Amino acid sequence: MPWDVLIFYLIAAVCVLSAAGVVVARNPVHSAIFLVLCFVNIAATFVMMGAEFLAVVQVIVYTGAILVLVLFVLMLVNPDDLPEFHAARPVQRYVGLLLGAILLLEVGAAIVTRSVSGEQGTATPDNIAAVGGNTQALGRVLYSDYLLAFEVVSLVLLVGVVGAIVLALPERLGERPSVARRGSISLSHPRGVDAALPEGRPAGETLIPTRHSTSPTRASGAVATGNDREVSAGPTPTGVVRDLVMTRDADAFGHMGDKR
Amino acid sequence: MGELGVDHFLFLSAALFIIGMMGVLTRRNLLIIFMCVELMTNAVNLSLVAFGWGLNSLDGQAFAVFIVAVAAAEAAVGLAIIMALSRRQRTVDVDALRSLRD
Amino acid sequence: MNDQPLWLTFIVAFTAMNVLLAGMAYMTWFERKVLARMQDRLGPTRTGPAGLLQPIADGIKLLGKEDLIPAAADKPVFFFAPLVIFVTAIVSVAVIPFGGTVEIFGRDVNLFAADLNVGALFILAFGSLGVYGIILGSYASASRYPLLGGLRAAAQVISYEIVLGLALVGVFILSGSLSLRDILARQQETLSLGPIDIPNWFILSQPIAFVIYTIAAVAETNRAPFDLPEAETELAAGFHTEYSAFRFSFYYLGEYINMIVISLFASTLFLGGTGGPGSDRFWGLGIFWLLAKTIVFLFFYIWLRATLPRFRYDQLMGIAWKVLLPLVLLNIVFTAFIRLVANGELEIPVWVWIAVAVAVVALLALSLRPGGGGEAAPARTSAVGGD
Repeated sequence: MPWDVLIFYLIAAVCVLSAAGVVVARNPVHSAIFLVLCFVNIAATFVMMGAEFLAVVQVIVYTGAILVLVLFVLMLVNPDDLPEFHAARPVQRYVGLLLGAILLLEVGAAIVTRSVSGEQGTATPDNIAAVGGNTQALGRVLYSDYLLAFEVVSLVLLVGVVGAIVLALPERLGERPSVARRGSISLSHPRGVDAALPEGRPAGETLIPTRHSTSPTRASGAVATGNDREVSAGPTPTGVVRDLVMTRDADAFGHMGDKR
Repeated sequence: MGELGVDHFLFLSAALFIIGMMGVLTRRNLLIIFMCVELMTNAVNLSLVAFGWGLNSLDGQAFAVFIVAVAAAEAAVGLAIIMALSRRQRTVDVDALRSLRD
Repeated sequence: MNDQPLWLTFIVAFTAMNVLLAGMAYMTWFERKVLARMQDRLGPTRTGPAGLLQPIADGIKLLGKEDLIPAAADKPVFFFAPLVIFVTAIVSVAVIPFGGTVEIFGRDVNLFAADLNVGALFILAFGSLGVYGIILGSYASASRYPLLGGLRAAAQVISYEIVLGLALVGVFILSGSLSLRDILARQQETLSLGPIDIPNWFILSQPIAFVIYTIAAVAETNRAPFDLPEAETELAAGFHTEYSAFRFSFYYLGEYINMIVISLFASTLFLGGTGGPGSDRFWGLGIFWLLAKTIVFLFFYIWLRATLPRFRYDQLMGIAWKVLLPLVLLNIVFTAFIRLVANGELEIPVWVWIAVAVAVVALLALSLRPGGGGEAAPARTSAVGGD
């Protein structure tokens, strides 16, 4: 067996196993780690196909940006929300497996029975080397044949940025973000920051967080649902505006992994 | 198995796509579903590059670059939606997010 | 470039890696000495002459310490998170060219481990993978200060990575390649400024990019004054609060190797890399120049640490997104424009130049007027840390 085939099988095995890990892992952070592994290995297969630029872009964009954002959100979302309180219904699981198996068989049959045919392009290794390498060759294609698509994609990115900012704005437009929110990252936002006292509220009033949108299906088995919802108000000293509200069970913020 | 051919990469791509699809079907956590969707787009990328490689064409790589860019935009918006959801509904469980139904 | 046997490449890579590790160890000594001198102290003096054995003593001490693992820690992740930052830092050195192909003991040897077509992006990619070491370590500690530090680090590194990458685009445009060897070769050319010939280092043609790169590199390596992720006064030790003994030292190693790699990278991209007097005659001199430039860079890092107070978090983000990013985008557009005009691919009538000149003068006049701070950004970047 030639070396490249052997290396391919190694990479493919890691890819598939880590992809399976994404689906199977109970802890979302572990899923994300598996996904990082999978993406880096996919980048390695890109290198095997001579697409070095794409491989590096894959690592920078997918693992360096998107998955870091996913991890970021994982840590900002209330840790008690993260574990799945009930697994998928068995029906879903079996049907999913069945559908997957059927689809795999179909696609496998398609791959085996057909072969890739079509007009051979001009991007032979020699031609690519002539223009200076994969990056230069890809650049030529992107900025000539696909110029319009390139511009449209840049527009999509712009719209994406605007959309993300709009979605991340405070609930009501025009609401001035509290001092605590503007300057710092809140650790576990729903309880830590939202209950901050708006300025000018009469002192001495008991603090109650405004939003108690308890979802009906929320499992009662979750740890620390009761006490941390309340604010350990205590008497607020007169004239002091509190920025951050401490919860009674302070450690509820720290743990993420093993609490379900 | 002889030479390294397009088929190898296509099989890998199919396997990854289907694993991602099963994740979307069976998991209930929005963030994990999001990650599985990313896995599926990556599998598609892989097959595009493989076809381009087999046909000596750079079009597949160009497509893949576009997909990566769009996936970045998708991630920004999608994660912002998840954040907003978890802030309002206090859960990222798709079965609990049913306010549009009842 | 010649095709050399694999074992030779291994030897080169092994040497580079070990030099890097030794350099890292003595970087700590250097930092302590320089910092001490700046604060009118002596620094380590007891271990060996001028404290030269201090890094070894530190290493032995760290090895001998008790390895504590928090009870609530996510153990597998806790174990491998420090390795991530260490390995990603050290892999980057593979693409940095320490010279061309030279003859050693009658054999042609490439003084670089790999010549990637996308070498510069490779370093950026592994730099971005290094964030995982921080985030996962902070998550796995199951403790609050590390989590805060990790979140800060993630936000900071993502933001500054954009700036860092975009600052290099100007260099890529001018050199027409992402390969570090090509970039190096472009800088060996000479530029005639009247009677004198000066080397065509990219710091001359891309000064703004160089300044922005330097700032972003400090932030990327979590060094003072951007060391928010490990701000002692606020977060205990930040993301590695729960780490001790040898696991901690991997973070420590990783941070210093990152500094060295990013300085090597900057020397290669902007300061002509191995270029210098006599480097074309003897390859050893080239390596000497490269290391000398790197040490100047590292000295600058330490100098910053000794001088500047830490930023506030919103200031940190504000600098990245409101000052550096617009500047670096302007730099890219400007560079691309100049390149087009210089290549004669864009013919511009004279009246456009006149209009542009008038507009620039008007803008300058507007921004210099008291109260109107439209283009005040460059002044603010140069005064980083002023507040």
